[in-house]
Order: sequence, then structure tokens, then C-alpha cells
Amino acid sequence: MISVISSEWYKLRKSKVLLLLLVAPLVGLFIGMSSSLGDIGAINPWYEKLVMMNFTYAVLFLPLISGVLASVICRYEHQKGGWKQLLALPVTRGKVFLSKYVLLLLLIFVMQLLYLVSIYLVGMIGGITEPFPMDIVWKTIVGGWMATFPLIALQLWVSIAFKSFAAPFAINVIFTLPTILVINSERFGPYYPWGQPFLMMNIGGSAEDFFFVPWDQILMVVGGSFLLFFIGGYLYFQRKAI
Amino acid sequence: MIFPLIQSDFLKIKRKGMWLLCLIGPFGVVALQMVNYGVRKDYLFEQMDDRWLYYLLNINTFTPLAIVLGIVILTSFMSSIEDETNAWKQLVALPVSKRSVYLSKFTVISCILFLSSVLLFLFVFGYGLTLGLGEDIPYLRLMEYSFLPFFAALPVLGLQLWVATISKNQAIPVTLGVIGVIFAYSAPLLPDWMIWKWPALSNDWGHAYINALLGIGFGVLLYLLGMVDFKRRDVK
Repeated sequence: MISVISSEWYKLRKSKVLLLLLVAPLVGLFIGMSSSLGDIGAINPWYEKLVMMNFTYAVLFLPLISGVLASVICRYEHQKGGWKQLLALPVTRGKVFLSKYVLLLLLIFVMQLLYLVSIYLVGMIGGITEPFPMDIVWKTIVGGWMATFPLIALQLWVSIAFKSFAAPFAINVIFTLPTILVINSERFGPYYPWGQPFLMMNIGGSAEDFFFVPWDQILMVVGGSFLLFFIGGYLYFQRKAI
Repeated sequence: MIFPLIQSDFLKIKRKGMWLLCLIGPFGVVALQMVNYGVRKDYLFEQMDDRWLYYLLNINTFTPLAIVLGIVILTSFMSSIEDETNAWKQLVALPVSKRSVYLSKFTVISCILFLSSVLLFLFVFGYGLTLGLGEDIPYLRLMEYSFLPFFAALPVLGLQLWVATISKNQAIPVTLGVIGVIFAYSAPLLPDWMIWKWPALSNDWGHAYINALLGIGFGVLLYLLGMVDFKRRDVK
């Protein structure tokens, strides 16, 4: 299993894909620097920045870019019969699917860490003197990461299914755009998987919950949709004619 | 000479779901407002005296995003049709100029986007009528908010088509597109010279048609730049 993951890693290591991860902090810097909410009555200037940056980042950027990454790590196999070569090796299809998924998780985690750095930089450039609220920030970083689990499972599924980048991206867009409206709704917001990255990164959410949303919502919506998409993709890949 | 090329490009996108996207885009934009108005119609009616205008402004929060994303998808799709089977070589080996190959791609995508704008107009108008937004239907504004974003987005089309045709790895244009969407979404914060701001139809002068004119001008410019670059480039 480890060897399958490391072979996936070798395919990526020297490619320009790692530059893709740098887009996240740049976008973070852009959102953080370009706007100011004015006084929203936050107790601390860091909170103001966090509310503002996490919104655009989690609603649009994170779901969209994680879909792009999913397509990227299937690219080698789609070119020139790579699936045939890969699956002719003594590996099971399940292991290939799982290791691609694990690698995606790691990439997105790294991206989240880089985004964390960009939050810090925005604050430094903006001359915020209060101590960095690490106890809140790490929760948004990890929470946002966990919320992408189901999304990348679906994106991996459709990326394996389609050769082109455009088709998985189109599906991603169709689900991601409505998020802007859905998260406003008290009733439907908590049940929309694409809204979870925002809800779990929204420090304005309910403060008594650990990840700003109730645990049963995480388990039910994130966990449930993760199982659905992951098992769906897994079974699809088992049966796919390559 | 250009018409057979355009025909062949239309043939290539047949039954690939592109026409479906052309329908989903405008329908999605209006459907989101159907949900919005369905859930909190009374609240939204109180926001502004001119209910039609407020409705159109609501529509226009999603139109730029849908157009920019649509452009990203269509351009990347057009070029991956050729990439997948290594068809660029065969295509330029035909007795057609590289310039017309590029022009044909641009034309086909513009046609699809324009058709989307027509559909957007029809959907917005149709749903607006059922909402009971008042007797005075602002036809001119309706046309503005349906068609001007398309013209204002032409520079984005020029840029994305350029990047998509010259990139072997479609991750590059798609990532650029994602960044573009973030820009389009943050339009009110951007300076007026950024092309991603234009589809939102807001500017310091307060006239929406300026964005469309700028869009056409810079769209042609970026198209020409892309075409010249494509012509000089070696096809691998």
C-alpha cells in the first residue's frame, strides 16, 4: 500500500503540479489584502480577516481547486494508456483508488497549511499586533480540510470516468456555485455537502461546537456523503473497462 | 474557407454535452433565483421599490460567475478534443491556415455563449413575469443584463482560449479559470482595468455599455494576440 502511494508521489514530484498548491496562498493574500469589511464588531482584527478570507476561500476556491487536483492526479493514467500499464502491475484496483485518494488528501492538507501561512502574512502586512489566534485558526484549517473529504471522493470518481479536465470541472461547478445561496439558508445549508467547507471554516458559526458545526452534522452530512461518493467511486473503478 | 472549419468544429462537439451546458448555465442562474424568491419572496420585495431592477441585480450576481466558468469549461473542452487524440497535428496539416483554425474555435465558443445569453434573456423574462414584479417591464435593462455580460466577458474568452490551446496540461487553464472566478466574485473590490470585473457590469462611470465596449475591444485584442501566438508556435 505504501509503495503504491509513493509511486503516485513519484509521478507528481517533479511536475508543475506542486506549483498549483501555491495558488491557494496567493488567492488568500489577494482576498485578504484587497478587501476590508470595515468594523464588523469583531473582538479582534484577526477575526475580521478570518471571516472575510475564509468566506471566499471556502465557498468557491477550495471546492473548485480540489476538483482540479483530482483531475491532475488522474492525468498520467488517462494519457497514452496509463491505466493499462498501472493496473497490469501486481496491484489491486482498490489500492490504486485508495492511494490516489490518500495522496489527494495530503495535497489538500498541504494547501490548507499554505493558506494558513497566507492568513498570517496578511495579518503581518496589515500590521495586526494582537497575538495570532492559533487555537481558532487551526480548527478552520483542519475543519475545512475534513469538509473536502466527500468532495474529492466525488471528483476522483468523475475524474477517473472522464478523460478531459472540462467534464469533471463542469460537474464541480454545477454543485459549487449554488453554495453561495445555500449557505444563507438555515434549513438547507447544513445538509449541502458543498457548503460544508464554508460552514466548518466559518469562525462566526456556533462557538460552543468544536468545528463550528455540531458533531452530528459532521458525521451525517460530511461522513454520509463521503461514504456515498467514496464507495460509489470505488465500485465504479472496480468495474470500469480500461 | 472558414465555414467548413466551423462546421467541423460543431461536428466535433456533437453529443459531448456542450449544448447541455449551454442550457444548464442560464437555467442554473435563473433556477437559483427561483429558489431565492421561492424561499423569501416577501423579504426580497421589500428591499427596493423597483422590484424588477432588484430582481435583475440578483440575477446578475450569478451571471458573471456562470459566464466565466462556462468560458473555462468550453475553452478547455475545445482544446482537449484535439489534445486527447493528438489531433492538432492532423488539423494543421490540412490545407487550412492556422489562423482560421483558431478563429473557428473562437467563433464556435462565442456562438454557444451567445445562445446561452439568448436563453438567459428568455428565462429571466419568463420567470420575472410569473413573479409579479410590477407592470412596467424594463425591457432595455433586461436586454442589458442578459447580453452585455457576454460582450464584457470576451477578453476572458480570448485569454482562456489562448492559454487552453497552448497548454498541453489542461490543469493550467482550468486553474487560471478558478482564479478568474475568484476575481469575478470579488468584482466590487477590483480596479476597473481588470477584465474579470467587466461581466459584473459595474464601473466608476455608471454605464453598463462601457463594459461591453471595453469587452469587445480587448476581446478582439486578446483574440489577435492568441491567434498570432498560436500561428507562430510549433504544434507538438
